[in-house]
Amino acid sequence: MKTVLAVDDSATMREMVAFVLESAGYRVLEAEDGAKGLERARATPVDLVITDQNMPNMDGITLVRSLRELREYKAIPILLLTTESSDTMKSQGRAAGATGWLVKPFDPATLLEVVRKVLR
Amino acid sequence: MSNGEMGARNTRHAEQAADLLVTVASSLNERLAVTAGELARSQDLLREASDELMTAFRGAADRIVAAQRQGAAELREENAEYVVVLDHLYRAVQHLQSHDLVNQLIDAQKLRVDKMREKLVQALALAGTPITEPDEPEKWIERSRAMLDCIIAGIAQIDEEPAATGGDGKHAGSVDLF
Repeated sequence: MKTVLAVDDSATMREMVAFVLESAGYRVLEAEDGAKGLERARATPVDLVITDQNMPNMDGITLVRSLRELREYKAIPILLLTTESSDTMKSQGRAAGATGWLVKPFDPATLLEVVRKVLR
Repeated sequence: MSNGEMGARNTRHAEQAADLLVTVASSLNERLAVTAGELARSQDLLREASDELMTAFRGAADRIVAAQRQGAAELREENAEYVVVLDHLYRAVQHLQSHDLVNQLIDAQKLRVDKMREKLVQALALAGTPITEPDEPEKWIERSRAMLDCIIAGIAQIDEEPAATGGDGKHAGSVDLF
């Protein structure tokens, strides 16, 4: 069973991501900000990280950058799931090493399709 | 007009200008208080509705996830009802996200209004302190400047507070794979 780490400061959003992924057979771990997400990812290896951008303590792009510095996360897919949709932000995410960018509110079927694709 | 009369007139004008600023600050503060109250009320109503929806959602979602753990592949193949319920829940997921985003937007607006009101209250507090030399127009002008600084700082809060959600909604649901 593949494990996904969902990082978002909104408990509702984490719950929505967790439900959609668990209903499709994935195991989901949660973290409420970038710093806790980094801690969680270090403690338990995961197959995919889905993170929000605007969060207290550490934002999503900084989390992507920090994860890419870790040997075990060099090739793990990392998706940004955020309300931010500017090209500038997307470029920053891409430069930091993100695999993809999804804009909230997400469509569950689309999320599952993207997750299956990046985990293939 | 003698120097004394001129000085008295300047003082009177400076005092009137300071009074005008008090009127502006207190009137703005009163209106913002009404806005803050309405935002708080909207937030309470929305939170209450969201909590109820979340409770209902969890009741169904937990069963679906438990069923998935017990062998969803078979469930999907054999039970059309399971697929229908899952479809309804997926639709609820999209709308519950919107509730959450609206809650965050209201939070951000409320924070802006509160910070702006803080500055207006500071401006009004300045108006309450006695002028040491009330016959000197410069003293009134100094006070007016200090009050204006507070009012301008309050208006600046609108730009300084970060937005809760950076999106404009036009790109909602879009996907870019790099």
